[in-house]
Amino acid sequence: MDLNISGLSHRFGDKVIFDDFSLTLRRGGLYGLTAPSGRGKTTLLRILMGLQVPDAGTLPQGVRYSAVFQMDRLLPGRSAVDQLLFVRGGKREAEACRAFLAELLPEGSLDQPVGELSGGMQRRVAIARALWAESDCILMDEPFTGLDEDTLHKTADFILAKRKDRTLLLSTHQKELLEAYPFEWLTLP
Amino acid sequence: MKPVKSPRHIVRGLLIALFWLGIWQAASMLVGKPVLFASPLDTVKALAELLPTADYWSAVLGSLEHIALGFFLALLLGLLVGIAAFRFPLVKALVSPLLTMMKTVPVASFIILVLVWFGSKHLAVIVALLIVFPQIYFATVTGLSSTDKELLELARVFRVPGGRTAWQVYRPALWPYLNAACASALGMSWKAGIAAEVIGTPARSIGEQMYLSKIYLATAELFAWTLTVILLSMAFERAVRWLLRKVGK
Repeated sequence: MDLNISGLSHRFGDKVIFDDFSLTLRRGGLYGLTAPSGRGKTTLLRILMGLQVPDAGTLPQGVRYSAVFQMDRLLPGRSAVDQLLFVRGGKREAEACRAFLAELLPEGSLDQPVGELSGGMQRRVAIARALWAESDCILMDEPFTGLDEDTLHKTADFILAKRKDRTLLLSTHQKELLEAYPFEWLTLP
Repeated sequence: MKPVKSPRHIVRGLLIALFWLGIWQAASMLVGKPVLFASPLDTVKALAELLPTADYWSAVLGSLEHIALGFFLALLLGLLVGIAAFRFPLVKALVSPLLTMMKTVPVASFIILVLVWFGSKHLAVIVALLIVFPQIYFATVTGLSSTDKELLELARVFRVPGGRTAWQVYRPALWPYLNAACASALGMSWKAGIAAEVIGTPARSIGEQMYLSKIYLATAELFAWTLTVILLSMAFERAVRWLLRKVGK
């Protein structure tokens, strides 16, 4: 099912963020969202996830989302494996989950409390979590922040491989580093 | 985490203990009347005489049972009502005056009221419960309110089952508050429980034995009972904190 957003209007105080904004995300599409900061990239993602109620507009219903937030939002004191198991699965999934993470992170880091990992590694745990969860659409808010160029490419490859046929929308201010990937680029008015 | 104790620390601890025992001994010698102020030696002697008696153990067990029962009932009730109050604002508004009253009414009033209404049999249970319940309740509400809102959003977006969110997001937020509340409530439950027993003198209780010591002016025995309460309270606190750590892992 395609995701249709129509007639979206939202304002913060006097500041109009969206005015009768419409957007269609095709099912299985791969979208990159760029816009100068303050144009509502984060707000759009939050509205889609149902974390913010817009002043007006029609939103797709019944969509299961998974997401990477601006901040990593990891459970403190728990391992990378625990972060993934929190959003999907019990003990039986632990092995599959470990293999999944090992494609993106060094094996030795998977059982350490995430607080002991570097910022870039924590970021990748958050990204892996969004891909591991069951969802129809994956939203990522600036997922590549704090990753060096090599890691960024490795992570982008991982995202593309693991999203399978799910719709993916990610916002970024590093479009030029992602030219090699088949993103459809969107921007906000 | 347990600090590693070096021999130097142990020696220092022993010296400090010896210093205060010395002060205690000197004070008792200055007073010069064992009836008023027992020396450390008198106290240990009295305790040694009490230890083999059935009355001693019956009183110890009686008080421990009552205070522990009161404490755990309060822990359970405080958690349940605290969770309900956190979840439903109406419950919070409803119980708020009751809790304020429980916090401000003097312990002595409670003791006397419980004596009048229920007699002395379950006195220590009810008093310990009344003292501990508000502390656990407030810790629960505050702890749950301190939960990271961003993690709750995450759980909502990912449709994480409620039970898992409770255990992995709410519980870790609640734990430090609950731990701190238990630590202070544990000591208070013993102090208030024993005070209640001294006033109500229920059978098979440390409080009753203390009251008898007072009547017979058996000061060394009173000191020995006090020492017993201190040791029991410390052991009980350790046991409960160990239990909390187990569940909190």
